[in-house]
Amino acid sequence: MAASRPLFIPVILGTVRQGRLSEHAARFVHQEVSKRPGVETELIDIRELDLPATDEGNPVKDPRLTASVARADALILVVPEYNHGYPGSLKHALDSNLKEYIHKAVGICGVSAGPFGGTRAIENLLPVMRELGLVTIFWDVNFSSVHKVFDQAGQLADQSYVRRVDKFLKELIWMAKVLRHGRENVSLED
Amino acid sequence: MPDGRKMTCEDCGTEMNLHAEKVDWGTDSHAGEPFDEELGGVVEEFHTCPDCGTTEARVVL
Repeated sequence: MAASRPLFIPVILGTVRQGRLSEHAARFVHQEVSKRPGVETELIDIRELDLPATDEGNPVKDPRLTASVARADALILVVPEYNHGYPGSLKHALDSNLKEYIHKAVGICGVSAGPFGGTRAIENLLPVMRELGLVTIFWDVNFSSVHKVFDQAGQLADQSYVRRVDKFLKELIWMAKVLRHGRENVSLED
Repeated sequence: MPDGRKMTCEDCGTEMNLHAEKVDWGTDSHAGEPFDEELGGVVEEFHTCPDCGTTEARVVL
């Protein structure tokens, strides 16, 4: 029955850069999502996807990414800020799907070496999310000065992020449930 | 406008729910498909299955 299906909320690591500290953030967020009852998740590393750079959009679909997004009730994007924007590699990956996103929730975690925690990358992503048909929540996670948030081994050093991610996930799960109900039961023509 | 016809889920056979429409302004992704002059593009509708959650898209004829 539909009511017993667990939510599926994958975490997308949105950069392919070597030495990325966003990977620590993505693994931590993924670990926190994994603890939620009734929620299944996976960590999607866009570096591992087969997305040729010789074309754009639907023609470069990676079947694994498409299957995960199609199954998803919500997405979590972990996004570093590069030159006040989000990575082009993330946009390339996101643009490869469309119908799979419609009326699904999305939460964004920004990552930066500086004090703003990827805020500008998040703000720049919002219109993209809207055009893809995703519905943004208004709780973000901002991994500011990320080199201080995680130790050299990638373990969480700043425990305040446990609560920050908890608040973020509560809203995202709420939105995911509401939108699943809407997609499956509320008709555009009613 | 939606054509009012319900879609049936190819995975489980359940009647699907129409919950979204979108105008595709692109000229290359829907070659030969019906162009809505009033809306300025090809209109797609999106249906989701209430039992298994599968989503399907189709062009509005």
